[in-house]
Amino acid sequence: MISKKKRTPQLAVIGGGPAGLGAALAASKAGIDDIVMIERDIELGGILPQCIHDGFGSKVFKEVLTGPQYAQRYIDEIARTNVEVLLNTMVLELASNRTITAVNSAEGMITIEPKAVVLAMGCRERSRHQVFIPGYRPAGVITAGAAQRDINIEGLMPGRKIVILGSGDIGLIMARRFTLEGAQVEGVYEIMDHPGGLPRNIVQCCYDYDIPLLLSHTVTFIHGKKRVEGVTVAHVDADLKAVKDTECFIDCDTLVLSVGLIPENEISKHAGVTLDPVTAGPIVDERMETTVDGIFACGNVVNVFDLVDYVTRTSEVAGRGAAEYVLAGRKREAPVRVLPGRNVKYVVPQFVSDLGRDIDFYFRVEHPERAVTARVLAGTSPVKSKKHKMVHPPEMLTATATAADIAEAAKAEGRQVDSLLVEVVDSGK
Amino acid sequence: MGGSVKEAAPLPESAGVVIIGAGISGCSIAREVVKYTDDVVILDKETDVADETTKANNAEVHSGIGEKTGTLKQKLNVRGNRLYDEFVEGLGIELKRQGLLIVITPRTLPTSITRWLPKRVVRYVLERVVPRLIMRNGRKKGIPGQTVLTRQEIFDREPHVTRNAIAGVFDPTYGLVSPYKLAMALAENAIQNGARLFLETEVTGIKVEGGAVVSVVTNRGEIRAPIVVNAAGVFADKVADMAGAGGFEIHPRKGASLLFDRDITADYVHSSVAEFRMFHKGHSKGGGAMPTAEGNLQLGPTAIETGDRYDTSISAEEIEEIFDRFYYLLPDFPRSAIISAFSGIRAPTLDEDFIIEPSARTKGFVNVAGIQSPGLAAAPAIAEMVIGILHGLGVPDTRREDFDPVRPAPPRFTELTDEERDSLIEKDPDFGHIICRCETVTEAEVVNAIHGPIPAKNMDMVKRRTRVGMGRCQGGFCGFRCAEIIARERGIPITEVTKDGAGSWVFADETKHLLAEGDAGEAGQ
Ligand SMILES: Cc1cc2nc3c(=O)[nH]c(=O)nc-3n(C[C@H](O)[C@H](O)[C@H](O)COP(=O)(O)OP(=O)(O)OC[C@H]3O[C@@H](n4cnc5c(N)ncnc54)[C@H](O)[C@@H]3O)c2cc1C
Repeated sequence: MISKKKRTPQLAVIGGGPAGLGAALAASKAGIDDIVMIERDIELGGILPQCIHDGFGSKVFKEVLTGPQYAQRYIDEIARTNVEVLLNTMVLELASNRTITAVNSAEGMITIEPKAVVLAMGCRERSRHQVFIPGYRPAGVITAGAAQRDINIEGLMPGRKIVILGSGDIGLIMARRFTLEGAQVEGVYEIMDHPGGLPRNIVQCCYDYDIPLLLSHTVTFIHGKKRVEGVTVAHVDADLKAVKDTECFIDCDTLVLSVGLIPENEISKHAGVTLDPVTAGPIVDERMETTVDGIFACGNVVNVFDLVDYVTRTSEVAGRGAAEYVLAGRKREAPVRVLPGRNVKYVVPQFVSDLGRDIDFYFRVEHPERAVTARVLAGTSPVKSKKHKMVHPPEMLTATATAADIAEAAKAEGRQVDSLLVEVVDSGK
Repeated sequence: MGGSVKEAAPLPESAGVVIIGAGISGCSIAREVVKYTDDVVILDKETDVADETTKANNAEVHSGIGEKTGTLKQKLNVRGNRLYDEFVEGLGIELKRQGLLIVITPRTLPTSITRWLPKRVVRYVLERVVPRLIMRNGRKKGIPGQTVLTRQEIFDREPHVTRNAIAGVFDPTYGLVSPYKLAMALAENAIQNGARLFLETEVTGIKVEGGAVVSVVTNRGEIRAPIVVNAAGVFADKVADMAGAGGFEIHPRKGASLLFDRDITADYVHSSVAEFRMFHKGHSKGGGAMPTAEGNLQLGPTAIETGDRYDTSISAEEIEEIFDRFYYLLPDFPRSAIISAFSGIRAPTLDEDFIIEPSARTKGFVNVAGIQSPGLAAAPAIAEMVIGILHGLGVPDTRREDFDPVRPAPPRFTELTDEERDSLIEKDPDFGHIICRCETVTEAEVVNAIHGPIPAKNMDMVKRRTRVGMGRCQGGFCGFRCAEIIARERGIPITEVTKDGAGSWVFADETKHLLAEGDAGEAGQ
């Protein structure tokens, strides 16, 4: 038998991407020195090592870094702490009493019983059938993130003639990446009437390389029995249904899908953590604590952020929250709900346990809109507001309400705050 | 004895029995024959066993209630169902008897009938008469153990079934078995007992002399054989014609099914559930909602005539048709939990019955044709019937004493206790390395599949043996890792790894090579 030691650290962090790194580091800075971080890959950094393009760190570092550079800053800092990093280690299960079962080749089955847990498993890509693409099932249908990994990490080209479905950021970035590697990108097709990715990526990845971006279009059939031989694309109507007589065939050997990301919460569900059906991530409070005491969550496992900087920020909140939970114990008061209002699809956090703190709100709009004000209300009293020239669904909006802001609003209301509302309204009104 | 499929091993010059087709029929027959003689060769044109219809069906071991009384397929289905537990014994394959719930709804009788009748009468017929008709029909067909369920009893069993349900009949003999795993296990056990399997070996002709079969011609050479079994599925008519033993025609009929995320739908239905529709047109048994052997939920299948025997596509209309059909039976269905859709081709003859007989014209040639549904359910009985025919043609009828019915099933990490896992990891650290996170498959399982009795040569073969890539991410995370292990274990460049054989390349090239091509092209212009 392999000799077994049961680990009983103060904190276990599941996932070694930017969220896990940020949380472990913040907890360590907050005075916890017995931390275990578990990562299934051979290295830390999560998705960042394969994101060799730039655009990371503009908020946190006020610099423009590549993915690997951004990750390395945290990896170097972690190396200077006592955090125990378990690489090549897969968490199989997290119980609601926070016991973790994991496995790796060196130690076999591993049991960890931490005082607190931070969930930082990130997200995964939606696959072909989750978006109902009819046709055959040949080789050559691949998600954008997998293609990115093949090219940037493994040095392999998944195809020569590419059609990209979905204009999410990874899809746009891969349009450019494939082109730079000498592949022919036939076009990026987006079913919605607005792009899924950030405006800067549309310009820098499509327009700058003359790659057509077709909105209100989708792939209606995949051809080829062994390898993709082409796709049929069609215009869609207002109900997103393909219009038959607009169908046309495009010759290609690869269909790259960038059709959305889903927070990876199988482990969370098993632990009894309640998920938000809209974000598909855990419901959290202002300290990123889930509905299960002592289990925190941050980064893309909570909801899919557009910028890594926000992943890092939520991870620092979670790391500090977990440290506080371990060191000071903590009682949660009656939760105050945070509700999405006009043109707001969802808000993170979904509830607040302690109004006496600064709270970061992250939210997305449902549809694009010009000249609006995003505001947080306590009852009918404004807590915080910000004007925007233009808002798009892909872009994460943020607002920070200080304890003082909330206290003031409560005073204006003349009663205790029992819920907060986040809404986006016409600036003219 | 024992052995494995060697890469491009030469075909033997002769064999006592040649079986054409390594679907569930061919594999069941092979395992039956090998109990009496080890001089048996199985040929299949595809890269893997079960690569055509057998891998794409609904995994149901029907009871036989849906088949027309008096047909061969009805008889063999009832018999096959009864033999199943014994059939899978020793193979390391799980047979689950989950039962079938037949639900009677207001749609059970077509409006062309009900609109002439008072509501009360319709209700009475549906609640009282129809269940009894089903029961009587079952008794006539020899199906044991059926019970009538009230509306409430239906909901107690299956809470998601439509509130429109009026009554039901439960048939406990319905079973579930993974069809491709079963075919593979049967083939492996046959190989272990001396049978030889040749894949990517297509039969292109059959030589007949003096009214008797003498040899089978393939793309890889010729095998002399006095007995040839035609278990070629959708191509059985073509193969029969090669031997002058035809006279029937297969008209391919496509069936599409949808597969759902196990985590979300695991408890959604507990047995197979089907809505009973009388006088309803169509040649499939109407399909249903059922768990798979692995615990995913599936909906389907459809039934569409197709001219193309390789048409395994699935259209938007088919997907919608399936949803439309099942929204009525299961109104709160979690549509977004879909993870895969697949279709397979049934092989019916114009008579819609199995043809299992020695050819009257070509001695030594046995047709096992028209094996549409319930070919999986009937497999044990088909094998039993065929061995009877083969004894008549000269296959010895005393059982080999050295026949070993037990197929050693490779360990599966998810099915082990923590102690078992630890001791495996200690022996082989690759058992501690999870490759596929959705299905929790280890590197060691992948390696075992690649070096197994029927070696997995491509990604789909690894997937069918280990479930790598079958989960909710559909290979997004593990696809590359799997290709890398195949390349390493087989000693080939990763750019030669395929999804499922020739033409299904996975990687075009290494990076930078395309750029070099481009430059060369430009320079040449
Ligand atoms: C959608 C669908 C759902 C179904 N559901 C069920 C179910 O739930 N329960 C049930 O009992 N049945 C079901 N069936 C039916 C069942 O799948 C078939 O009856 C069964 O798989 C037939 O097996 P087979 O071995 O006869 O044919 P196949 O599986 O088609 O095998 C024939 C083999 O012969 C090979 N071959 C053909 N020509 C040549 C040649 N010239 N040279 C070499 N090899 C050749 C092929 O490559 C193939 O591997 C379903 C069918 C479909 C399509």
